Amino acid sequence: MSLVVANGIAHRFGNELALAGIDLVLDTGEHMAVLGDNGAGKTTLLRVLATALKPTAGELRIAGLDAFKEKRRLRHYIGYVAHAPGLYPALTAAENLEFFCDLQDMSHSHAIEALDLVGLSAVARRRADQLSRGMQQRLAIARAILHQPRLLVLDEPDASLGSDAADLLATVMRDRTVVLATHDHALANRLCPRTLMLKHGRSHGTPTRLSVVK
Amino acid sequence: MNPLRVAVAVARKDLLSEWRTRELVPALAQFVILALLIGNFGFQVDSRNANVIAPGILWMALVFAGLVAFGRTFAAEREQSSLEAMLMTPASPLAIFAGKAAAAAAMLVLCEAVLLPALALFFGSPISIELITAVLLATVGMSALGVLFAAIVARVRARELLLPLLILPLWIPIVIAGAQAVQSAFGLPGSYDQAIGLLVDFDILFVVLTSLAARFVLDE
Repeated sequence: MSLVVANGIAHRFGNELALAGIDLVLDTGEHMAVLGDNGAGKTTLLRVLATALKPTAGELRIAGLDAFKEKRRLRHYIGYVAHAPGLYPALTAAENLEFFCDLQDMSHSHAIEALDLVGLSAVARRRADQLSRGMQQRLAIARAILHQPRLLVLDEPDASLGSDAADLLATVMRDRTVVLATHDHALANRLCPRTLMLKHGRSHGTPTRLSVVK
Repeated sequence: MNPLRVAVAVARKDLLSEWRTRELVPALAQFVILALLIGNFGFQVDSRNANVIAPGILWMALVFAGLVAFGRTFAAEREQSSLEAMLMTPASPLAIFAGKAAAAAAMLVLCEAVLLPALALFFGSPISIELITAVLLATVGMSALGVLFAAIVARVRARELLLPLLILPLWIPIVIAGAQAVQSAFGLPGSYDQAIGLLVDFDILFVVLTSLAARFVLDE
């Protein structure tokens, strides 16, 4: 069953065409990597899929719902890791997650579970601005999975994660539909059976794993 | 979603961040004291004119402290890219707005807790329930408008310039009614009850209008 159906997604920033009619169907549980050079439109596409950005044209349905008319309802389904971690520097790792539990009317016990899953239990009481860049990225990933989303949208989540990035991402991606943007072709190949190559905002087919690596 | 839980969490988060970083309130407290000091020496205050000058100095200090306080409410969120993460949750934008406005108002109240005793020290103006009521009522309307416009300008580059240009004209009714109430509280001619009634009316009007607008401002 298709969880994400995008038809002709296009977006402009002023005169700049960032996305030029992307069509996409993602089945439940499917993992897809979005590859492309800087400026290819990866972040714009991911922001659209996460409902953080309304495209200039096109239609997006997630779980059968119009993604922009029903976006507040859909946010229960979507977890998004943006380019920047977007943490509160003066709050501890645990407090950052507990705050998001409050926003989503969830018990604080979910924060402890998420910290444990991303390997940050030992630094739960450390302020976010005292965490390394990699730990901050883990915390941003923990925040994205706090509410057990069905669709996970990850914008270069491997940035600063370290050697066990693939293992951590494989853990959080399990049993979820995932769209992952990365520059790391090997990581994309390992985690995602499907890839979407973007060039100047246009889709260049959905090549197989091997052709992407080559 | 429980809007009250969201609003309390947002306000608590902002106040906890301020408590730990002490970025804003100490600077604002220093600013209001300096403003009173300049006013005290600039106007050659004596016992005959102190109560005439003091309300003007009070509102000048409060308005400029408010501009700085409200300007930071969304600017900090933008700088640390945390606003999008917060808005990506199913939480109601109105509850988020209410939490941010409550935290900003609480920070302004802390400044007022420094401002009013300093005003009494420099100008010999009595601190009374009437004075505190007028200032607190003005804070409600100022916060609602201030935080809404801070959210609107947070995404533009010249926000420090734009915020005063947009917000000062809208604060004028609050300042006029507030100044009238404070003058009456200091024993000058004028109806205190009428001024307080006006402040309550403005508070209701601005809270309702900003609540209606907040959803659209934060959602887009």
